[in-house]
Amino acid sequence: MVTGAEGRANRIAIWALALAGLAVIYAPPFYLVAISLNPALQPGLPSLSDLSLTWYARLAHERGLVAALRQSAGVATITAVLATLLSLLAALAYQEMRRARSAWFLAMLLPMFVPGVIQGLALSVIFTRLHLRPSMLTVAAGHLLWAMPFAFIVILTSLGAVRGSFLMAAADLGAGWWRRFRDVILPLIRPGLVSAFLFAFLLSLNEFARAFYLVGRQNTLPIEMFGKMNAGASPTIYALSGAIFLVSMLCVGLVMLRRRGTGSQAG
Amino acid sequence: MPRLLLIVLLPVLAVLVLGVAPLLTVTTWSFWTWDPATYWIRPEPSLAGYGAILEAGRWTVLADTLGKGLLAALLCLLLAYPLTYAIHFLSGPRLALLLLAAITIPFFTSSLIRAFSWRLVLGRTGPVNAFLQELGLVARPLDWLLFSDFAVMVGLVASYMPFAAFPLLLSLRRVEPSYLAAAQDLGAGFWRIVRTIILPLTLPGAFAGFLFVLVMVIGSSTEVQMLGGAGASIVSVMVNDVMRVANFPLAFAISTVVLVVLLALVLAGNRAFRLARLFEDPSW
Repeated sequence: MVTGAEGRANRIAIWALALAGLAVIYAPPFYLVAISLNPALQPGLPSLSDLSLTWYARLAHERGLVAALRQSAGVATITAVLATLLSLLAALAYQEMRRARSAWFLAMLLPMFVPGVIQGLALSVIFTRLHLRPSMLTVAAGHLLWAMPFAFIVILTSLGAVRGSFLMAAADLGAGWWRRFRDVILPLIRPGLVSAFLFAFLLSLNEFARAFYLVGRQNTLPIEMFGKMNAGASPTIYALSGAIFLVSMLCVGLVMLRRRGTGSQAG
Repeated sequence: MPRLLLIVLLPVLAVLVLGVAPLLTVTTWSFWTWDPATYWIRPEPSLAGYGAILEAGRWTVLADTLGKGLLAALLCLLLAYPLTYAIHFLSGPRLALLLLAAITIPFFTSSLIRAFSWRLVLGRTGPVNAFLQELGLVARPLDWLLFSDFAVMVGLVASYMPFAAFPLLLSLRRVEPSYLAAAQDLGAGFWRIVRTIILPLTLPGAFAGFLFVLVMVIGSSTEVQMLGGAGASIVSVMVNDVMRVANFPLAFAISTVVLVVLLALVLAGNRAFRLARLFEDPSW
């Protein structure tokens, strides 16, 4: 704490445990990234002189993975567009509510806790009964409620930058609801919308359990990868896993840096 | 309030059509009868699906899932407390932001890839075994490190620890700094402050974090699929196995039991600790 009551020994112990916690999360994926730079067929840490992007170059030739990546990108785009729009509406509704707020918040958050396997199974059985063919849309239908709670929280947070006084001033000057939304709210929450879109995109791109039941002939990337991971050693899977992990990490990192810039304005 | 109705319409529709309706349908179907002629179910009431849960040791998987969830939640809290304490009390603004990013990133990276990477780390020729042999602690590679309950637990903690860290951090931020200063002025040592002020005031966050991890583990499947041994199961994997032989009534019955348990946990948690209020803090 600011007062430094911990004492030196305790502070060291706390930092050690904190770093252990982070290592549990990050050490294995970074080890995987390191392995992916090893040109040898057997997984192992490469020596510094051996670093190579061989396996990354090979990725372009893996037809199955490329097709799956394309499918996943499509699903993730649909999911992200819908999740951002619906979450924006949900967040605006939250702002206008008084007593129903907590219930509304809970209703928007609850889908996050539905197990992926059960959500995917339920939707797929119903889609089959309705004779809906599996497609990007059916997978996106499964991903939407998984991505929405996160997008909702992000947009709700960014709405904190919209002070009541701004809206009152606009209303006093004769702006109607739509005008207040377009000219006051929207510019202030634009970074939040971008973050929500990116987060929803990543959640969909990396989702496995729901898609498992909802894909048709064309697998999404995680499902294709799951097959390869269990099919025995092909180091391209290390390269792809490493690349996806790093890109996801980078996206979230950038979003958080940007949010800091806008967060300080919000005070 | 027609405007509010208009705004609410689409999100409500999405939740109803894609969430509530399919899950309620499955719940209803869990009480129907299996029809071997059509390979589907017909609307005659039956509890056969629920009866089958009690057979073939399936209920032990349910109990085991709950056990895994409780243990993982406890371990996650033990790791998340020092981490969030370090973020809130020991870090400057820059470092705090970096660490905040570090606990945010896992939500948006693939749990499949992260579980897979543990496979490489814990394997017979992986770095952990190599290190232990180097130190002379073990003569030959430990086999129980991978494809075991141990590996699954490690994977679960790594996957869901951020779910414990977030509510904990939010509740730490609400600890009034003047209480800590006052305690210190009155001569309380660090552990006394932790025990009498920080722990009680962050209890709602700790319970919320515990609940989140528990709920996520109950719904998890990837970690067991990637890291579990032969015959290892968890309730979602059991549903997959049951579906492989198209046993719809049983799959629906298991799903219903899980959904009811999860809903009860989240609603009870919400009532007791006002989960919603914890997140209604716009400062993050």
